[in-house]
Amino acid sequence: MIGVWGALAGAVVLLLVLLAWAWAEAWSKDSRSDWGASNQEPGESVEACSPEIVSQIFSAADSKFISGLESSGLENLFRRERTAVALHWVHETSAFISKIMRRHLEASRMSADLEIATEARIFLQYARLKLYCGILFVLIGLLGPQRLAGTALYAERFIQRIGEGLAEFQLAAHLREPDGSESL
Amino acid sequence: MSAMVKQLPVQEAYEDLLQRSLSRIPCDLGRLLYLASTRDYNTGTYHHDGLADRFSAKVARSALEIAHRQAFHKVAALSLEHLVRDLAAYLESSGENPEEFLRTWQRLEPYRIAIPMDVNPTVARHFASNVRLALAVLRLRREPTHSDR
Repeated sequence: MIGVWGALAGAVVLLLVLLAWAWAEAWSKDSRSDWGASNQEPGESVEACSPEIVSQIFSAADSKFISGLESSGLENLFRRERTAVALHWVHETSAFISKIMRRHLEASRMSADLEIATEARIFLQYARLKLYCGILFVLIGLLGPQRLAGTALYAERFIQRIGEGLAEFQLAAHLREPDGSESL
Repeated sequence: MSAMVKQLPVQEAYEDLLQRSLSRIPCDLGRLLYLASTRDYNTGTYHHDGLADRFSAKVARSALEIAHRQAFHKVAALSLEHLVRDLAAYLESSGENPEEFLRTWQRLEPYRIAIPMDVNPTVARHFASNVRLALAVLRLRREPTHSDR
């Protein structure tokens, strides 16, 4: 009996998560089309989003400031605006991670001495980051960005570290190539 | 040795810009809008007559571009409360009718012009969103039924 109830509860949770995902994805698409100043593809930005800005997007202090004004209209506007920006950040970040991985795969294909353990470790880190982005996407949709500042900053730092690690790996792979020194 | 400590022309032009032009503007948003106004809308290149005369057009262009990006990132990173104060200071320094100013800014969104080229799209979105919120806060504060809590 408990098994049936458990399965039902699981199904309900899964359904809620899927609905939150669909809602967040639709919102994110709307907000992307709203921004007409850039023709850049997601993840193609020449500039990184600094941790300072990430902490501002997820800032609880701004939320507190708005709450202090005691206007439900303004609070709704604030929630809508911040959710849209936070979802945009997750989408950009996810696309950026995919771009790094694509570059890494291209470099790996040309490398003569692939280390399986290193490749597996990189793939696991990539999968972990993509999962993080997916969870953040759903949680922003469910809870709003202000409760997720710590998680977002952790993801940001993690991405930076992995990005630097992959860049070093690519450079090392490039230097190992017979004609690598010529093009550097 | 003296050549080594001598400032690069762009840095010199940048400091000249800070001292002569930007220091007279009372708020961060005002400085950002001023710097954005030195950019040609059609070509995206920057120009400042005084700076170009003292240095060169190329050096002035680089100094203006750097100053614009820095001013933008500073404003984008402001807390909402700070941005509201800054926007209020800008509104006051403009000498325009506050109601008309707020209505025009909410409708035309002229602050979008202040975004530098090739800036991270999330930062650009965050900036525009924050200005929208700051405008809504100032509008709310001007409503007769609202008293600042």
